[in-house]
Amino acid sequence: MKALRLYLWLVLIQVRSQMQYRVGFLLETLSVALGSIISFVTLALVLQKFEGIAGWSLGEVAFLFALVELSFGLMDMIFSGFDPDYFAAHTRQGTLDQYLLRPVSLTLQIFGSQFILRRLGRIFQGTLILVYAVQLVNIEWTVGKILYLPLVIAGMVLFFGGLFMLGATITFWTVERIEAVNILTYGGTELMSYPMTIYQDWMRRFFTYIVPAIFLNYYPSLYFLDRPDPFNMPFVVRFIAPVVGLGVFLAAYVFWRFGVRYYQSTGS
Amino acid sequence: MRVYWEIAKRALSRQLTYRTATLAGLATNFYFGLLRAAVMAALYGARAQVDGISLQAAITYTGLAQSLIAVISLLGWFEVMRSINKGEISSDLLRPIGYFKFWLAQDLGKAAAQLALRGIPLMLGYALFFDILLPQTLWHWLAVFLALGLAVLLSFSWRFLVNLVGFWVTDATSIGRVVYIFSWFLSGFLMPLRFFPDWFVRLCYLTPFPHTINTIVEIYLGVLTPGQMLRALLLQLAWFVGLTLACSWVLRRGIRHLVIQGG
Repeated sequence: MKALRLYLWLVLIQVRSQMQYRVGFLLETLSVALGSIISFVTLALVLQKFEGIAGWSLGEVAFLFALVELSFGLMDMIFSGFDPDYFAAHTRQGTLDQYLLRPVSLTLQIFGSQFILRRLGRIFQGTLILVYAVQLVNIEWTVGKILYLPLVIAGMVLFFGGLFMLGATITFWTVERIEAVNILTYGGTELMSYPMTIYQDWMRRFFTYIVPAIFLNYYPSLYFLDRPDPFNMPFVVRFIAPVVGLGVFLAAYVFWRFGVRYYQSTGS
Repeated sequence: MRVYWEIAKRALSRQLTYRTATLAGLATNFYFGLLRAAVMAALYGARAQVDGISLQAAITYTGLAQSLIAVISLLGWFEVMRSINKGEISSDLLRPIGYFKFWLAQDLGKAAAQLALRGIPLMLGYALFFDILLPQTLWHWLAVFLALGLAVLLSFSWRFLVNLVGFWVTDATSIGRVVYIFSWFLSGFLMPLRFFPDWFVRLCYLTPFPHTINTIVEIYLGVLTPGQMLRALLLQLAWFVGLTLACSWVLRRGIRHLVIQGG
């Protein structure tokens, strides 16, 4: 309870300081939204021209795209402190040592150290496209689907958040940020925006068994869109998204704790 | 001239020192290339050709776009803005060399390093994975590299101009980011511009941006007639000259406007 209060307090400070530069904030939010809208418009124009992709209509792909965008945007705001690009500066400059001296959980402090409000642009934009996609495909809503949707989003937030945490932890050893982690995070959003049938077998296997991205967006979407499963997995895998997300997050958290114990500071 | 050559060489060797970063960048570009190639193949399905672009050409395009993005660096560059903001510009201006050329030389050195370390290795890697198209004649290769050189120059002038906003606005990075997103989209990096509706392509070509990536791609893939190719190259040159003139005009006014805070 006390931890939660402290966290909210830290976030509030972040929000306040970002609102000091209102024009800058608005422009940045606009630029984030714009980037994501542009990606979608490109996708929509091309899908219209090619009349869908691999048997998926524009609306169905838009549904995939919007779910990832929305979840990643949320994650990018909540886990801003663990963003490897940002966190690497802590390990490089030794500022992490300051956090370690304080009598509060390090994880909590990192969560509260950065809360980038301009990500709202991406969240807002993802929501808009989701609404648009739902209109286009005429999903038959059931109670189960309505209840499951927020869980799927939560699963992806945890999944991507875990990847951020993993990337941040690696910098304990490398000091520099590792661009290859972007393959999983930013690359993951792009990968998950399309039906998984379009990828080559080795690639899809990698994103099934090693990085279980396939269960987070593709399988839940098969359920929402009432589509058959081309890979003949058990029906239940459509519903494991939150569990997989939580699993990835917990694994990353354990690794993070291990990394913190190892951390030796750059000494500068 | 010699001093600019030395500046460019320094910038090049600076890039060469970041080996792991380069390797990681290469891996990222390659991964995105693979993704987009898969998307292309799925989009094409059974189609042999779309708007004069075969599937093989479309897959080559995905590799080209990834190799070019680091060389042309359209994805954001704020260094001049930052040096104006921090006041470092004062010492740069004291040097007996042109301010525009000083940065241009650095950018060219960086572009050369990116081409050698990322652009070319990426295309070679691509050639292992896919059956990609290659220009067949020496003239064709020459045209490709000419277009590439002009695109680098054009991209630099554009980015420099955007950075000059820093003379009037203290924190101009947010403005820069919005502007860069447009240039990135209209450059043809996400999809070949030919795939878009005509009215949209015409709109794109009112801006300098398609003359960067899209022009190189179209020349490389050989979808332009020799006449169209010449016209494309001349347009690149014209945009470069125009933007450079705009830079020097704005720069002069900016310097007159500049007040460095003591400290």
